[in-house]
Amino acid sequence: MGNRYVEMGLCAPVNVTWEVTYNCNLSCIHCLSDSGNRNVAEMSTDDCRRVIDELAAMKVFQFNIGGGEPFMRPDFLDLMDYAHDKGIVTCISTNGTLIDRDIAKRLNHPLVYIQVSLDGATPESNDPIRGKGSFRNVLRALDYLREWDIEVSINTVLTQLSFPELDKMSKLASDYGAKLRVSRFRPSGRGKESWSKLNVTADQMLAFSDWLSRHLGVSTGDSFFSVSTEERRSLGLNMCGACKLTCCISPEGGVYPCAFLQEDEFRAGVVPEQSFGEIWRESPVFKSFRNLEIKSCESCHRFDLCHGGCPAIAYHTQRKLGIADPGCLENCVKEKIPNMVVV
Amino acid sequence: MQLESAYRLEAGVQVRNEVFGLLFYDYRGPRLYFVPSKELLTDTFFQGNEPVSDLLDRLVAQTRWPRKQIQDQLERTLDSLEGKGLIHGQ
Repeated sequence: MGNRYVEMGLCAPVNVTWEVTYNCNLSCIHCLSDSGNRNVAEMSTDDCRRVIDELAAMKVFQFNIGGGEPFMRPDFLDLMDYAHDKGIVTCISTNGTLIDRDIAKRLNHPLVYIQVSLDGATPESNDPIRGKGSFRNVLRALDYLREWDIEVSINTVLTQLSFPELDKMSKLASDYGAKLRVSRFRPSGRGKESWSKLNVTADQMLAFSDWLSRHLGVSTGDSFFSVSTEERRSLGLNMCGACKLTCCISPEGGVYPCAFLQEDEFRAGVVPEQSFGEIWRESPVFKSFRNLEIKSCESCHRFDLCHGGCPAIAYHTQRKLGIADPGCLENCVKEKIPNMVVV
Repeated sequence: MQLESAYRLEAGVQVRNEVFGLLFYDYRGPRLYFVPSKELLTDTFFQGNEPVSDLLDRLVAQTRWPRKQIQDQLERTLDSLEGKGLIHGQ
């Protein structure tokens, strides 16, 4: 990664995470955005088109689409067509349950990636997290997508429940010709309530780091640079990309540093009422995020590999920015070492 | 690099101007490439309308830098981009 060029400031994000609706037909216990019902303030089709127009003019390369469940929006596929016509790549995160043959056919486009969520390798392990019947419905969607040879990843959130299933998940993904992607669990949305129950232990995070270093084909997006080892150095980011490479747009048009920091204090502006370009360049929230320094990490031998880790986890667990990610590899190792202070 | 060639982006590749030069995005991956080309190359060059020889003439006139030096820089950059599968000459 060209960190020094990123630090010079990019004229636009490389990708924008866009949560297109809160509406969802599932009610996953770790949902990052507490999705369920549609919010009446969600952007209209015309508003979404105006946003796409501006982001395309700025040459944003990719949208990471999420929600809610994107396919709950009746205009969703039309909006994706609109983005593709402007050359924007879309990576669509979906629970998969609404994908039928017709939708799969329409998703067969060279600029589309699909990411289907699954949090266990069997109905017994997946459905308690994502809802009854969801495992079966996801496998059906994977079959439809495979008929069109559409590039698919199976996305699993790392929790105490999914951690023991990783090898089986890897096999399942391979059986469907899909990649496995593992995402970090963050305490936002409904994840705030389930955090203490579901977040992996320090031992599990260390074991996961080791597992990742032996499974280089497993992708992690921007999730696990805080626990990445040398083996994965060239596979992705080694720092938080919020406000530098990426940012998030909420269903109502709120612009935030990332999907996990959709809090009022981090709202940088609202589109399409305000210009996205101005928000990206001028917002005090974004400027302060770009200047965020995690001083306590700078002397760490792993600083070059993670630059302090995920600010969202630090914020949600300690209500502070500018401090170390509590789940970074170094902190997990420290947690294992007994405190031998003589009192 | 061929002086008489113009260059276009490969399918799935996009490019935009940045303060340091050019930022390439390759859909396969996806992957980013940072090219510190400053003002020597801009994204419009990759629309494939201008042969390298014309670009070279223009840059020599604009910058008054030695022709050989600019040609070497262009050759290194374009060959590297072509080698990574981001552009092709025509």
